[in-house]
Amino acid sequence: MSTMTAGPAESTLAAADFDTLAGGLTEPEAIAEARTAAWERFTALPWPTKKSEEWRYTDLAKVGFEALTPVVPAPATAEALPADVRDVLGRSGERAGVVVLREGRVAHLELEAGVARSGVVLCSIRDAADRHPEVLRRALLEAQPGPAEEKLWALHLALLGGGYFLYVPRGVEMPAPIHAFHIVERAGTLSSAHSFVYGESGARAAVIDEFLSGDLDAETVSLHGATITGEGGAGIEYVALQRFGRGVKRFSTQHVTAGRDSRVVTFNVALGGDLSRADITSRLDGPGSDSEMLALWFGDSDQHFDHHTLQHHAAPHAHSDLLFKGALTDAGSSVFRGLIRVDKGAQLTDAYQTNRNLLLSEGAHASALPNLEIEADDVRCSHGATIGQVEDGQLFYLMSRGLTRRQAERLLVFGFFDEVLGRLPMEGVRARVREAIEEKIGL
Amino acid sequence: MSEPLLSIRGLRAKVDGEDGEILRGVDLDVQRGEVHALMGPNGSGKSTLAKVIAGHPAYEVTAGEILFEGEDVLELEPDERSRAGIFLAFQYPAEIPGVSIANFLRTAVNARLGEGEEMDVFGFQRTLTEKMEMLKMDPGFAARYVNDGFSGGEKKRNEILQMAVLRPALGVLDETDSGLDIDALKIVASGVNRLSEADEALGVLLITHYKRILNYIRPDRVHVMMAGRIAESGGASLADKLEAEGYDWLHRAVAAV
Ligand SMILES: Nc1ncnc2c1ncn2[C@@H]1O[C@H](COP(=O)(O)OP(=O)(O)OP(=O)(O)O)[C@@H](O)[C@H]1O
Ligand SMILES: [Mg+2]
Repeated sequence: MSTMTAGPAESTLAAADFDTLAGGLTEPEAIAEARTAAWERFTALPWPTKKSEEWRYTDLAKVGFEALTPVVPAPATAEALPADVRDVLGRSGERAGVVVLREGRVAHLELEAGVARSGVVLCSIRDAADRHPEVLRRALLEAQPGPAEEKLWALHLALLGGGYFLYVPRGVEMPAPIHAFHIVERAGTLSSAHSFVYGESGARAAVIDEFLSGDLDAETVSLHGATITGEGGAGIEYVALQRFGRGVKRFSTQHVTAGRDSRVVTFNVALGGDLSRADITSRLDGPGSDSEMLALWFGDSDQHFDHHTLQHHAAPHAHSDLLFKGALTDAGSSVFRGLIRVDKGAQLTDAYQTNRNLLLSEGAHASALPNLEIEADDVRCSHGATIGQVEDGQLFYLMSRGLTRRQAERLLVFGFFDEVLGRLPMEGVRARVREAIEEKIGL
Repeated sequence: MSEPLLSIRGLRAKVDGEDGEILRGVDLDVQRGEVHALMGPNGSGKSTLAKVIAGHPAYEVTAGEILFEGEDVLELEPDERSRAGIFLAFQYPAEIPGVSIANFLRTAVNARLGEGEEMDVFGFQRTLTEKMEMLKMDPGFAARYVNDGFSGGEKKRNEILQMAVLRPALGVLDETDSGLDIDALKIVASGVNRLSEADEALGVLLITHYKRILNYIRPDRVHVMMAGRIAESGGASLADKLEAEGYDWLHRAVAAV
């Protein structure tokens, strides 16, 4: 395997062929094959347009993909922790491991010795392709995105190589979360990273993915994919905390597969970037499985956040609960589009979906489109969405205690978010997310 | 005598966008260090006066003025009035789910300190604990969401807690006594008295229907509001007369004018 470090392929996406994308790297066969196939699919598929329901409110034509310089992540290197990462870690609670990624390339990776001894594997996707090709291939193939996400998913896979692989063997309970930092530094690039999280039966794991960059002066796209799998009785908590700077457009495709009696919590927080889209699918694959899907966003300026979800009940007796809350000010905008799909055999499904929006300004705009598609007949499902403003009575009460209108509004946003934050099981993770939100809304 | 702490002259107000006047020419002076009781029948405009003093945006002042420490406050936003030293203990405090009392009050305390002068977490915690002890509140209360699911009495106590932490120059207490059991009433009243002792210039405008609280917080003056005006003012004994005779005699007197 080559050890050379690839920079951005010296061409734009429009001019790139697969060989330039590979950047002269030799790579493990499993990855090369998957990438080649994905590249062919990517070049064959048209970009989704605003005519498709899933992209009606987020116009991909406004993203200059063709002019971006694709980055194919090189093999992992071992750098020291960057200062800002060290700073965050210093203020966060306990952790079992740390991963730092630069445009997808693993630049630093550490796993607590005791956790490693218990059989937990944490490595780069590249190394995983060498050592665990079957597991990786299966997870990627099982994550079949819907037609609307296929183009971006194919591009993500074509660039695959960046990201990390976390594997927790049967019955192993990790004592603390893995904290990963996805750093984007180079303006004008198109990069991608994958978060692979797998818990065998009875395993317990928690991961926090933090996405960050400075304000970049040219349009930059960060793609992200996550495959999160819990086998029978596993418990997994996954947090994606997006706090990119301006200039970044971000697309994340997340696939959860919940096996029999497993419980998987996903929590997406969108705070930064110019545009942030997340396609999140939870597949309730085994009877008794439980998926909790949570999200928070706070948009200001002209930020645009788009969350698109699917709760797919493929097995009976499963439970899924989605609670997404967003607040917007200035000319911020957001979209929530969610679907509960219950297959014919998925009797005794319990599925809920709630999206609440709080608008702080005249110029802010939220769209909420919850939906149901039920083929079983013995189910309990509900869905609902609200879009509202802060209550005058609450605002006056807070202002009458000396808070400025801005402070009062922001405190109310915090109160509005608290219900969702409170559902994060791990206290350390909750504290980190709360801190990042506080920083963004500026109390 | 120096200028009054609060001076209200010919104040007229109505609900913004509607016709009927609620306050129809209110005159009232509160000197520093004085306690004034404001009584009067339901719907006579007491809470409206309190909210207009605090700057509630639902009301429009059509005439008159409100001077606080000699300054016209009508142009000030509610938060500016608060930072200037006006405090309103609400008759019906708002519920703020998701925001803890501690978080809320720390934000409020820091809002009146300059940037960079914010109180540190421990200093604030000490103050809060001390005031909660004074009001015999369970320490766990600080972590509860503001007024969310509070009993009527708990809400009232929480209002006085805020006053104790924020240390205003003027406290307008709108029926803080109603809904309190006799023990709670004593605790709240002694809390207010302690604040007066700590700050001899503290002015209090105490809106109430009952003489009961006036046994614990002695008023310097008692006023009766009828149909949007102060119809009668007197010493503490006026409250006794109202308790004994009700408002009938005043209704007749007002009607006779
Ligand atoms: N925001 C409002 N919208 C409509 N009417 C209002 C509003 N505020 C006050 N009023 C009306 O003004 C009148 C005075 O109300 P206010 O609450 O000031 O009375 P009060 O003296 O405090 O009565 P109580 O002793 O029952 O508390 C009432 O008729 C009330 O319905
Ligand atoms: Mg009233």
